[in-house]
Amino acid sequence: MQARLSRCVLILCLSSAPALAQETTSTIAPNVGSRVLEGYVTPTLARFREASGALSNALGDVCGASSDSGLVAVHQRFSEAVSAWGHVSVLRFGPLVAENRFERVFFWPDPRGVTLRQVQGLLASDEPLPQDLAAQSVALQGLPALDYVLFGTGGDKLADDARRCAYAQAVADNVADIAGALESGWAEGTAFRASFTAPAADRDPYRSSAEVAGEVVKAAGTAIEFARNAELLPALGKSVEKARGKRAPFWRSGETFAFTAAQIEGVQQLITAAGFVDGPSDLVNGYGESMNFDLAHARDALEAVAGAPEAAFGEEEDRGRISYATIAMEGAKHTLNGELAGALGLVMGFNALDGD
Amino acid sequence: MEIDRRTFLALAGAAAAFRPALAHAADEALFLGARLNGGAFEAAVIDASGRDRLVLPLEARGHSFAIDAPRRRAVAFARSPGRFAVAFSVDGTGEPIAFAPPPDRHFYGHGVFTPDGRLLLATENDYDGERGVTGLYDASAGFRRIGEFETGGIGPHEVILLADGKTLCVANGGILTHPDYERVKLNLATMKPSLSYVDMETGDLLEQAELAPELHKLSIRHMTLDRFGAVWFGAQYQGEDDARPPLVGRHRRGHAIELFPGPEATLKKLDNYVGSVAIDASGEIVATSSPRGGLSVFWDAETGRCLGERQLKDGCGLAPLSGHRLLGTSGRGAIVRTGPDVALESVREPQASAPAWDNHLRRI
Repeated sequence: MQARLSRCVLILCLSSAPALAQETTSTIAPNVGSRVLEGYVTPTLARFREASGALSNALGDVCGASSDSGLVAVHQRFSEAVSAWGHVSVLRFGPLVAENRFERVFFWPDPRGVTLRQVQGLLASDEPLPQDLAAQSVALQGLPALDYVLFGTGGDKLADDARRCAYAQAVADNVADIAGALESGWAEGTAFRASFTAPAADRDPYRSSAEVAGEVVKAAGTAIEFARNAELLPALGKSVEKARGKRAPFWRSGETFAFTAAQIEGVQQLITAAGFVDGPSDLVNGYGESMNFDLAHARDALEAVAGAPEAAFGEEEDRGRISYATIAMEGAKHTLNGELAGALGLVMGFNALDGD
Repeated sequence: MEIDRRTFLALAGAAAAFRPALAHAADEALFLGARLNGGAFEAAVIDASGRDRLVLPLEARGHSFAIDAPRRRAVAFARSPGRFAVAFSVDGTGEPIAFAPPPDRHFYGHGVFTPDGRLLLATENDYDGERGVTGLYDASAGFRRIGEFETGGIGPHEVILLADGKTLCVANGGILTHPDYERVKLNLATMKPSLSYVDMETGDLLEQAELAPELHKLSIRHMTLDRFGAVWFGAQYQGEDDARPPLVGRHRRGHAIELFPGPEATLKKLDNYVGSVAIDASGEIVATSSPRGGLSVFWDAETGRCLGERQLKDGCGLAPLSGHRLLGTSGRGAIVRTGPDVALESVREPQASAPAWDNHLRRI
């Protein structure tokens, strides 16, 4: 079985429902859902709401002020919003996958440069800005679009460019709206929250605490894999000649490594909240600590990257740091889907991956 | 066409393993599945008792097969996004032939032979072009690739041949992927799955059936043909966890797609995921499996009525036995006889040391 699991964990699983079957419950905290809600979901969503609201306010101060003095504050608020999103992005199930919310905040990966093409098109157009951004292409709606508007060519003239500033404001408002919708989706009285915190046979989508634990394991694994495979590795390339920093998210604002480090930190906080580090089972805790060890090293390595993202992927020393982080992330994912999931009594199906 | 070094090594090692375990009668029921056996990936021919009759090592995980029954041969495909295929005799005669798609394509794991055995067609990803194709391989010339047809969509998965022997039906799952991003789905917000009917001689897109816009995240993946010539399909839902759209449907040429939710409790257990679709020997009963939910569900092909369900943990592979019975396999090593009219009968018990069977089991 071990060999089988270790093969499976190499394959990215980004499915929308738990692909884990449960065998026993003794190692899972019976209140795993409430723990995750209180310890991770609620504070994380509140912080994202505040950060995206603050970004919107900061843009309000700049737009129409015909002065660039507020731009520093906008950049600071953007950085905070991206970091807050890093934590939220780990919760890729339930309300975050409803109504394309994940993609609307963070249309990624974008190998064809759809965001750049559409944002440039919109900025250059003579047409009035769309009234309802939420109804437009997802690539126009979120943080990668703002990364270009605020930090791409012409971003330094934000206050003098009414159209650009109004669009930036609209994107920030849209992200803040989605942050609000996420909180509503998790709010008291919703069927989703009831199922997550008090799973039962007649509730949907979670019928048992093991299914909730399975969702948490899958979310953590998906987040690690996504950060590694969709955010870092494509920019790193297989060799230094193939390094392309411009394939990394938020390279224009320079937030790439802070963002991926925030995602990793989010995974650490999530598994801790779920009781995988200090929960009822010493065996599980040991594997949770092992994951934390790998993830802490990955974060340290990413935070130590010295160069700007555009260049760092192609510079030897930084490249080594990034590469090390991806290896540590793979190790953490391996522990998660292998030993930790096994100790929780969760068995990963051989045939449950999406797309087969 | 250059083959991967690992394919070469796997096949070099195959010489010893690749031989029939037992002689068999020509009309004996044999089945073909991909599996992971003690850390090694294989394609295996088994009989209805679950005995290995032929084992072919594969370099990585296989998925489904194209079968040329009159000529007793088959092609094993790599699981998406793999790039190897191996043609072999199901009786273990002759040397296996390995081949690969062009460098800018990968397989999705399914394919069919033309009835005359001359051509092999395989679903492939033109990932830089963001479009699905069926690659055409000359089965009489070492499986040289001689061209491709567009499938009229993104992410073609299973392809089947209609009863006329000249029309392909392709399930365009609608999910865009690129090997640079492993299996990450790149277009969930804009997915548009479809069934495409393609003229096998000209590549013309003859007809295309789509789902209602609100079901655009219902990825159509696997298909079978019923006795009446209708295409049945199973889908995987990429939307919200607590939405429970129907996962099983039927399409008749010239008509709209019909969807069959079945009983609410059954639909819920399918867990938004159908992993394989098979037809029984009579062509009257459609079987759909959900490894996630650990159950198979049976449908009356004429009326779309749900005929019941059978539980099997991580069960996915299904292929017809006689009558209304099917042989089923699981990722935990189980082999069972199943069907709407019979209780599940174990052929091989699940166990940790048994081979883990991949999604598909095919009757040769």
